[in-house]
Amino acid sequence: MKKVLTTLGVLALGGMLAACGNNAGATKQADASSEGSSQAAESKSADGVTNVTIWSPTDTAAIEAWWVEKIDQWNKENPDIQVKREAIDRADAYAYENKITTATTSGNLPDILYVDGPMVSYYAANGITVPLDSYFPADDLKDFMPSTVQADTYDGKLYAIAPTESSVALFYNKDYLDKAGIPYPSDTDIKQAWTWSQFLDNAKKLTTSDYVGTNIIMDKGEGIIYALGSFFTEAGAQFVSDDGSKADGYVNSDASVKAAEYLNEFIKNGYANLDPVKDEFLNGKAATLLGGSWNIADLEKSNLNWGVSYFPVADDGKAVSPTGDWAAAITKDSKNPDAAGKFLQWAMNSDNIASYASAVAKPASRTSSYDKMEGWDSGARALMKWQLQNTGVSRPRTPSYSVLSTDFSTAMLNIFSGSDAKEELDNVAKNFDENYEMYYKK
Amino acid sequence: MEAKLSKKSKREYGDNLAGFIMSSPALILLIAFLIIPIIYTVYYSFFTYQVVRPDNIKFNALNNYAKLFKDANFYVALKNTIYFTVIVVPVQCILALVLALMVSSKKKGVAVFRTLYYSPQITSMVIIAVLWTILYNSNANTGLINAFLKSIGLQPIDFLNNPKTAMNSIIFMSAWQGAGYQMMIFIAGLNAIPTEQYEAASVDGADWFAKLIYVTLPGLINTIKYVLMITLIQAMKLFTQPYIMTKGGPRNATKTLVFYIYEQGFQKGNFGYACSIATVFFIIVVTLSIVVKRISKTN
Repeated sequence: MKKVLTTLGVLALGGMLAACGNNAGATKQADASSEGSSQAAESKSADGVTNVTIWSPTDTAAIEAWWVEKIDQWNKENPDIQVKREAIDRADAYAYENKITTATTSGNLPDILYVDGPMVSYYAANGITVPLDSYFPADDLKDFMPSTVQADTYDGKLYAIAPTESSVALFYNKDYLDKAGIPYPSDTDIKQAWTWSQFLDNAKKLTTSDYVGTNIIMDKGEGIIYALGSFFTEAGAQFVSDDGSKADGYVNSDASVKAAEYLNEFIKNGYANLDPVKDEFLNGKAATLLGGSWNIADLEKSNLNWGVSYFPVADDGKAVSPTGDWAAAITKDSKNPDAAGKFLQWAMNSDNIASYASAVAKPASRTSSYDKMEGWDSGARALMKWQLQNTGVSRPRTPSYSVLSTDFSTAMLNIFSGSDAKEELDNVAKNFDENYEMYYKK
Repeated sequence: MEAKLSKKSKREYGDNLAGFIMSSPALILLIAFLIIPIIYTVYYSFFTYQVVRPDNIKFNALNNYAKLFKDANFYVALKNTIYFTVIVVPVQCILALVLALMVSSKKKGVAVFRTLYYSPQITSMVIIAVLWTILYNSNANTGLINAFLKSIGLQPIDFLNNPKTAMNSIIFMSAWQGAGYQMMIFIAGLNAIPTEQYEAASVDGADWFAKLIYVTLPGLINTIKYVLMITLIQAMKLFTQPYIMTKGGPRNATKTLVFYIYEQGFQKGNFGYACSIATVFFIIVVTLSIVVKRISKTN
């Protein structure tokens, strides 16, 4: 009798557990469909509605609002294609990419995926994204910035499309420059921009016990190659060979070593912090800033007495500036790439790009969008636009980009904390070549 | 006789079945999230596997292992992991024991301290790591510790960017964060020591130190073994602190084995290679646990 009772007890417990399990499963499923995750997108529901899911990093309030408004508008106008977006937190330099990697392995990618410009080649080479040429014919692409099309193309095909571009310029605190007796650098004539020597010299003069001369560390991940890479190009170096297959002899060339050692002068001598606190420049803790076009909006809202000039140019006058921004791609897991393509055509039309770019104060990737945007013909914004059209160079395009970016930022951080530049860059070249050889060599 | 045996074995079978059913929730979870992943990890360690290309994996026999044993970064990571473990385990355990002895008395207000010492434990390590990154910031204008050093006339220390101090800085904050948990276990162990033993010791004229050596520590011996074991295994798995605070740098000074596995597998996509590091790491941890268990048993 006792045994029977025990067994019954076990069964009852088991039943309870199972019930819990089922309930949990059911709730999860309901959540999934209401949030419009990829499971929901996979199935064309009985009433002929196609679902399209978008993943993009969590953005500023203005862009989040843009998404809500535009998706509402699209869903009302297109009852047969219903779009939903999931904002993914990009808490850390590579956290968003890690999520994509996991979703790729489990086949749970959304229809539309936002990826960082230089990662386009990696996702394309690994078959994670599909070509978009049929949605954006050559005629239409002429309207886009050359650096946008260049960054989003791999192996002759367009694999992503970016609504906005980015650029980096030198912001300065007018009060601090006045105090140090340094004249303001020009924002209308690149010949009057600070050269490498002037930048270093002025950073030294501007460093006091209360604030540092400049801020060159955007973040310790992708920000290193993005913002500092242009110094390497200005020095005459190139990260990888033109076909993106080899780094030895490129990333570790004499010119590269020279650029790395130059940048280390700022950190080594304490003219710039290796660990700048958030908004260092905005809070008056740095006299100058290698800042992005996205910093303009915050600076305009602040009480800071600031000015802007070109990205520092090489002593021989060679001028290069960073470019690139996140781009939308369609994934291999999309069950309805054509529906996703239709949405992208609409989201990336001249009007929508204009309102998107305005919302975040980023330069638009379409030339025609500037006619609909205010404030781009003078000041900091005009300078960013000018750099994009004249000195912008995209980051290296290679399927082994993630290895290059990770190892390059590690190498630079090591150099900043005292390692030998040549040794560190040799290491980057070795790891890159090994990776390319192993996975992409034809 | 035979009938009796079979009846007995039948009953044993029944008992076993009930046992299995009752432990099945735990067993199923263990198999799904521990045993199967372990088997897969060992399996994939023999393949060339780009993480986003599960459709294109190639068997490469022992290539990953051959590469691993020649990989300077692996040895650096192994050395860092061992260094961290060897320092943090005794520091953290002794700190926890001292705290436990201090707060285990029945004096008034002691519960407040108990809660205070335990509080870092209930905060997420990620948050603690971010906070300590700010505390450790090299600039005296922003880093609290350096602001203090400056105010008493000392030079600021570049805690996290100097290869010589980075790992020790992480060890210090880890011991500070972790000690609260071990302290709780020690308190439980202390409460389990019969008060009669202390009374008897008092009658024999023992002072507090003699009581500590002859009553408290022998009474705690099993707790100490347990605490050593869990701290050791936890220390070997160090990841969050270097991931948040130093990204494995500067100059690889805080790159641990688990961080290296993450870097290879996720950041660089070398999944097969990451699996081979994980397999070696698994063997090291299991061997170490067995050795520690053996040693503590013979004592």
